Parts: sequence; structure tokens; C-alpha cells
Amino acid sequence: MPGIDECLLEAMALPGARGAALVDWSSGLALGTAGDSPVGDHETTAAETAELARAAAEYESFAQPAPDSAPGGAPGETGLGLPVEDLIVTTRTGYHVLRFVETSFDSSVFLHLWLDRTDGNLALARHRLRILAEGLVLR
Amino acid sequence: MTAAQISGLAPVAVSPLLTRLAAERATGALLRDRGTLFLEDGRIVHAESPATPGLDVLLTTGGGLAPERWREAVDRAGARRQVARFLVDSGGLAGGELEICHLAAIFDAAFFALSPGTGPSRFRRGATHWIGSVRSVPAAAVERETRRRRELLDAVWPYPLLDTSPVVPRAAAPGQTVTTRQRLLLARADGVRTPADLAWVLGRPAFHTLLDVRRLAAAGLVETPHAPVLAPVETPLPDWITQTQSPDVALLRRLRDALEASL
Repeated sequence: MPGIDECLLEAMALPGARGAALVDWSSGLALGTAGDSPVGDHETTAAETAELARAAAEYESFAQPAPDSAPGGAPGETGLGLPVEDLIVTTRTGYHVLRFVETSFDSSVFLHLWLDRTDGNLALARHRLRILAEGLVLR
Repeated sequence: MTAAQISGLAPVAVSPLLTRLAAERATGALLRDRGTLFLEDGRIVHAESPATPGLDVLLTTGGGLAPERWREAVDRAGARRQVARFLVDSGGLAGGELEICHLAAIFDAAFFALSPGTGPSRFRRGATHWIGSVRSVPAAAVERETRRRRELLDAVWPYPLLDTSPVVPRAAAPGQTVTTRQRLLLARADGVRTPADLAWVLGRPAFHTLLDVRRLAAAGLVETPHAPVLAPVETPLPDWITQTQSPDVALLRRLRDALEASL
């Protein structure tokens, strides 16, 4: 039954990990942080990555047509299914992996992991983040 | 320079009393007009506000938790103030989910509880909440986030009247994208419900709904209400009144002389 802190600590244990955060993309709030931020301020990074995640999560081109796309379904309908699993931004010096977390209630959170370009292993990080995101909601 | 750094240079206390209670590591409930903050050793452990849906609504209306399970948790663990733990231990909710939802509820309620212009605050020392301990956040972080949220709303679309007015949808322009989340909100906007009402209906945090409505208004998908213009009857005064000039003594003398001569 891991919590936010354990999840972020595990993400930081990945090779080349420099910083990690759990962020709400609707409001830009960092729910938890670990390690460093690329700009020295986790709150700024959270607000910026949230804008990117929001665009990916909301733009139609990335959303498969929902099976129940009839507007105004039953209130409290859940399990909309997240259309986007993760986002990867490659910079000259690092990788940023944003992994969306699917919860049993209406939320808008993702895990952000910042990796060093030389020490980081993108494939391993993606795989691990998926497991960590699922672990957060595992009963 | 980032906004955080700027506000760091000129810190404006959202609530001086909260700052003081945090400094003295107080435990208890800070009661304000629009909500209550619960402190433990100076850190905020819970918050609630009548303006925001509580954890129960977020988890049941906005999620898959059956209302009976919530009531069972309150009935069985409320007295020992461990409702949160009971929900997780009984398998109703994952530990990470509880933390995510609880943090969302704290920052959401704090935004309204710490809203400016609310009346006097009272502190009930020693009071605790039946939800029990989940996670705590430093009071300074909550104040900073509350300030950031106020600025964010105005940065998106500076029309505060939207926050309290009924949400009136507008037709999308041809080819304009309306996202799934937006459609869910717009489908429930019946021209009567305010953003706060929609938050309850959708089971989403109230601040998120305010922000979504401001974004929708900025995109032209929701009407932006306009404040009744307080008729700016400001008839401009002539220059000879507003611009104080030294009186033209020579002219006045000639006028006097002329008036005396005509008498």
C-alpha cells in the first residue's frame, strides 16, 4: 500500500534520476516532490509540466473516441479511461517522462520524472513509471 | 524571475493568524467565515469549507466508492478518528488514492477558507478532525498555493463574476475543440447552476471547476457575465475650475474699473 512519498523515492532510485514529482495537471499543484527541479523550484516546474500534460490529456487528436461518447452520461460515471499513457520530452541534457495516473475518482494527476541524458535509461524509466503509477492506486 | 520568487521577495500574509499558529506549532482548528483549517504541530492536516465538496463527495459522486462504504467507515471509525485509515484497510480505496484525494481536498478548501475579506478568525485549540491522519502540509505551502491559485484564475480570464454566476454555455465555433472533461461540465451547466453547484454535481474540487469555467469563458464556450455598469456619470469640469491658475490681477482690475464706471 505505497503512498506518494514511497512512489517518488522509488522513482528516484532509477539510474540517472534527478528529480520526481506528482503533479495535478488541472491546477498545476505539486502534490509531492523529490530530488531537484530543472529550474531550482519544484512549484514552477509543476506549473509548467502541468500545462504540457493538460494539452496532451485534453486535445482531441490524442483521445480515442470514447465508447460511450454520448454527452451527459450518468452522473458519477468513471472509468473514462485515460487516452494518453505518457509523454516524453527529450532535451539536450535530459529526458522528462510524464506518466498519467488513473484513479478511481475524477482526478488529473501525473508522475513527472526528470532523467539525466547520459545515465538515464528511457525504456526502463517508462516501464518503472507505469508500475509505480499503478501501484499508487493498488488496493 | 518566477512568480514564486517574486512573491518570496514580497510575502503578503494570507492569514497572519495562520502564520503565527504555524510558528508556535499549534494544534487545533482555525475557524474562518468560509472554512476551517485543522492544524497539528503547526502543519495543516485537514481542511473543509462549505464552498467545496468534501472527501465524501469527491470519492462517491466523482468516483467509484459506494456511499454505503463511506457511511460504514464514518460509523465504525469516526469515533476513534480513523476514517481515512479504515477506508484503506477495508479495501475501499488505495493508499495513494486517498493521499491524492485528501491533498486535493485540503488545498481546495483552504483556497476558500483563506479567501480575502472573510471576517474574524477563531482558533479552537486541541480540536481534531474525525478523518484522522493522512498527510500534512506546511502552512506556508498552503498559503503560497492559495496565492498562486488566485493569480492563476485572473491570468486565465480576469472576470471574477464568473465564479458566482450561473454557468451559461455558448455554442462552439465551427471546428472548435471541446474536450471530454469540458463536455461533461457543459452537459450539466443548465443556466442555473453556478461553478460551485457544478463541482458538487461532478464530484470535482471547487477550485478546479472555477478554473475550468474561466478557461471555457476565455475560449468563448461559456458566457462571460458583465457587471452592471455603475453609470460613470463623471461630467468633466471645465478647465477654469480644475486648473488652478493664479488670477489675472490686471484683468480683474479692468473688470472692476469697468463695473464701477458703469454704475
